Amino acid sequence: MGSEELEAIVARAAADFAAAPDPAALENAKAKVLGKTGELAAFRSSLGSLPAEERKAAGQSYNSAVQRIENSLEQRRKQLALAKLESRLAEEALDVTLPGRGRARGGLHPISRTWRRIEEIFGSIGFDVADGPEIETDWYNFTALNNPENHPARSMQDTFYVDLKDAQGLPLLLRTHTSPMQVRYARAWVDRHRRTAAMPPIKVIAPGRTYRVDSDATHSPMFHQVEGLWIDEDISFADLKSVYVDFLRRFFESDELRVRFRPSYFPFTEPSAEIDLQFASGPLQGRWLELSGAGQVHPQVVRNFGLNPEKYIGFAFGSGLERLTMLRYGIDDLRLFFDGDLRFLRQFA
Amino acid sequence: MIVPEHWLREFVAPRLGAQALAELLTMSGLEVETCEPVGALPGGIVVGRIVSVDKHPNADKLTVCKVDSGRQTLQVVCGAPNARPGMLAPLALVGTRLKDLEIKPASLRGVQSEGMLCSARELGLSEDHSGLLELPANARVGAGAGKALRLDEHIFTFKLTPNRADCLSVLGIAREVSALTGVRLRAPEIKPVKSGIKDKHPVRITDAEGCGRFTGRVIRNVDAAAPAPAWMRERLERAGQRSISALVDVTNYVMLELGRPLHVYDQDKLSGPIDVRWGRKGERVLLLNGQTVEVDSSVLCIADDSGPIGLAGIMGGETTKAETTTQNLFLESAFFFPEAIAGRARRFNFASDASHRFERGVDFANNVDGIERATRLILEICGGEPGPTVDLVKRLPKRKPVTMRVARAAKVIGIEVTRKEIESVFRRLGLSYRKAKDRFTVSPPSFRFDIAIEEDLIEEVARVHGFERIPAVPPRAPARMRARPEARRSLHELRERVAACDYQETINFAFVEPAWEADFAGEADPVRLLNPIASQSSVMRTTLIGSLLANLRFNHARKVERIRVFEVGRVYLRDAAAADGPLAVAGLRQPMRVGGAAFGPAFDEQWGAPARAVDFYDVKSDLEAVCAPRALRLEAAPHPALHPGRSARVLIESEGGFQPAGWLGELHPRWQQKYELPRSVVLFELDAEILAATPLPRPAQPSRFPPVVRDIAVLVDATLPAQVLLDVAQAEKPAIVQLIRLFDLYQGTNLPAGKKSLAFRVVMQDTERTLTDGEADQARDALVALWGRRCGAILRA
Repeated sequence: MGSEELEAIVARAAADFAAAPDPAALENAKAKVLGKTGELAAFRSSLGSLPAEERKAAGQSYNSAVQRIENSLEQRRKQLALAKLESRLAEEALDVTLPGRGRARGGLHPISRTWRRIEEIFGSIGFDVADGPEIETDWYNFTALNNPENHPARSMQDTFYVDLKDAQGLPLLLRTHTSPMQVRYARAWVDRHRRTAAMPPIKVIAPGRTYRVDSDATHSPMFHQVEGLWIDEDISFADLKSVYVDFLRRFFESDELRVRFRPSYFPFTEPSAEIDLQFASGPLQGRWLELSGAGQVHPQVVRNFGLNPEKYIGFAFGSGLERLTMLRYGIDDLRLFFDGDLRFLRQFA
Repeated sequence: MIVPEHWLREFVAPRLGAQALAELLTMSGLEVETCEPVGALPGGIVVGRIVSVDKHPNADKLTVCKVDSGRQTLQVVCGAPNARPGMLAPLALVGTRLKDLEIKPASLRGVQSEGMLCSARELGLSEDHSGLLELPANARVGAGAGKALRLDEHIFTFKLTPNRADCLSVLGIAREVSALTGVRLRAPEIKPVKSGIKDKHPVRITDAEGCGRFTGRVIRNVDAAAPAPAWMRERLERAGQRSISALVDVTNYVMLELGRPLHVYDQDKLSGPIDVRWGRKGERVLLLNGQTVEVDSSVLCIADDSGPIGLAGIMGGETTKAETTTQNLFLESAFFFPEAIAGRARRFNFASDASHRFERGVDFANNVDGIERATRLILEICGGEPGPTVDLVKRLPKRKPVTMRVARAAKVIGIEVTRKEIESVFRRLGLSYRKAKDRFTVSPPSFRFDIAIEEDLIEEVARVHGFERIPAVPPRAPARMRARPEARRSLHELRERVAACDYQETINFAFVEPAWEADFAGEADPVRLLNPIASQSSVMRTTLIGSLLANLRFNHARKVERIRVFEVGRVYLRDAAAADGPLAVAGLRQPMRVGGAAFGPAFDEQWGAPARAVDFYDVKSDLEAVCAPRALRLEAAPHPALHPGRSARVLIESEGGFQPAGWLGELHPRWQQKYELPRSVVLFELDAEILAATPLPRPAQPSRFPPVVRDIAVLVDATLPAQVLLDVAQAEKPAIVQLIRLFDLYQGTNLPAGKKSLAFRVVMQDTERTLTDGEADQARDALVALWGRRCGAILRA
């Protein structure tokens, strides 16, 4: 067998491999050329009978032929494997536009969103958060806040009463504001630091539910307030202005909005202010919107905290969470907050 | 308090427009709610003078008037019955637009008409259409009719705070305007009216702690039927007071002008001397408003020999009131202490202008002025002969001097206000003061009831100085770090976790229908509101379930098929043992709860999974996710709201065991039917405070050796809770067993009756070495034997 023949075998093997449509056919083609009875077997067995001087060259030709056949075999194997993978991948392709499966996610109430945000903002300058009873005593809701029985200021708030009485025989009530928490928190604080040489400042907000006998398009008999209180040896009305304006700018994420402090009256603060807000842009642009009551805590209230008003002064404020939420998200109907309509609430998910 | 602009400007006339004045007052603490023009007439309406009135040739009810428009004489056809020569009336010239009507030259029944004479209704000023609106005789013919009607003013509506009783009058507001603008106050000049007769009515003040001063005067032979003059009626109406009769109008006028409430008695109806005293139990008074009230020793009364004839400072009585037939009258101008009046009217469920003022504080120095002013007006309108003014003074409020330290003012306000400026504020407010080096001492005037302590003066300084001029100074505070305790979850984190399980938060009223409490809590005696807004919201809830079901019904009615809601809120439980505490009110517990309800399909309808209704175990899994890493155990127990076979008490892993934390279950079919819910509802309600604790992780070193897994299926009684097997295994299992998980439940007809098959996957692992198959099999067999012994379990072949 000469080298031409050998070349022919290599070429035929390459052609057979290329023609093999799948791995089984390829292995058959391989056996046909490289197997024990394959085309090359006769050539190899003939090598031994060649004269020594020819044997070396023939051996080299044979090895080269085998090498080349195996190369083309390997190449074809890879081709076939790749083709198989590709066809599998093509079969496995998904419609990626089908909707995702499994459980969806619920969401928080818009008032809760505001509530948490307020806690974060005041928390950033070291305010604690407190909450307390909603059914309150007359003393905490009114008298401790310098609003004794029969005081004309009591008619500023229409109070819900319940069929339980306190130790003085006065009916318990639903708190009309979060201000009772000023007194509860401050008294507990003073008590806790009774033995401390220098009492740390009282710095707290108290968000929560409040109640008044009032029900129409712009009043809900249950609503939310956040109370703020900062008492130390030198916390002034100027500090109140700064803290509250800062809060509003952070809450509404706008340095453009205008805030004004208007003299007013509350039994538990003096001087007292109503805080109004004005947006520089948007649908409410230019209108003054009432937002909060605030002021320097009245000396009688500081005394009711258990502190000497000569030494401790500071401010308090109370703001409506509904109002803040409505302004923040552009909601114009208060009733949407409390009728549980998922079509409305889900938009805050 | 409603104040017409002209009346105010009579007493103080700053060069400020009405809006600017309103802004100034608002920013100094007298909030002007509205500042509206009285009315404006369309252009083209002038004062016309009727020159002649002739019968219309072709119509009985019409007349033909010649009218002087100031420029020419026009012929106008008119239907008004009161047209007469010489009368001044509003004349709408050709071209004027009145509402939908444009005035054009027209022929009315054959007579040319070049304009229209107008009634008040045609001008949109009132409903009066009885005839032409007569203009004052001194109006200038041809000038705009609006000015002649004094329409060129604004009406200020004040929302006054309860401390500023001194501003409940035109004079009081004027005093404030004068202080704020520095423009001089021209208080009305009040000259005493000389008495012509000697008649007096005897007055006694028995209870001087209620009544400090009583000034009175008799006026005889008045014509009480005489009408109040137009100017007075107009002012009263613009100030929001309906005109009633001359005598009532005069008292209202003086009250609005000076802030001085008065009362007029028909002297002939009084039996004997007037006595001011506390009421006596059982006494009754018929009031002017028709109401009969029963008084007691806390109600100050005006009495005569017949008993109480009025509530002092609140309202007069029906039996002694002055009427249009009254001839002889007695005027009362008293001072009652605020404490003696406050709250009484509210107790009887009404309010009056007098009580509103007396409970806030009425000037105790202007009693005589009030009488003199009223006398003069009564004499002008009704005539009569006045007796002497009798001024009985028993006890007047003490006006203690109040000291304000300049340094304290600076500390409270946050900036220094100069002594010079402080002086100017006090002077402008009419507060007399003495000054020392570092302080001012003010003697409050008789009309101010809100200046008793240093802060009251600081407020006046800050207010008049202007809050706007106080800079916003960021406070300096020590930079101390704060952090929430890591082992406590906030309510916000709890909300987030529940929302992550596909529940939408709602917020519901804390007061609910009594039926909800009876049905869902078995609560017959919840805390009741004494004054609910409606009977459907008259009790305080002891469970969130009723509110959550209301959310379901609301949304289901709006065609939402899958509803999952939750709420975090307090419930209110009577507890006689609960004591007062820093955050507690005796007689009650008010724990915070988290409740949820799931209704409809387990998942939103989707293409890849068959639809199925949400069930108990879906929600149990939600609760496990919410409470993780703390484990839950459920034990069957009945609850009034829940299906008796599908109701469980939820216990949550705590230090030293499991602690009851609330309930999980399916709504009782009875309530599902009663509340018209088409499908079952799974409900839960847990104590939020118990959920707040979350232990810090205490991780163990993971084993380096491979786990071995064995599955065990056993047959047990169908009624045996799976938890029993798990508990038995937990207590006595071989040490290498790390985890036992129930992964299959089978109940089929091919099992023995009353049996079920439970399959467990048991994971075994050792931290020291690799387990052999033999060891694993041995542990499996030990478990099977244990369950056989303790639970009657049979290994399923």
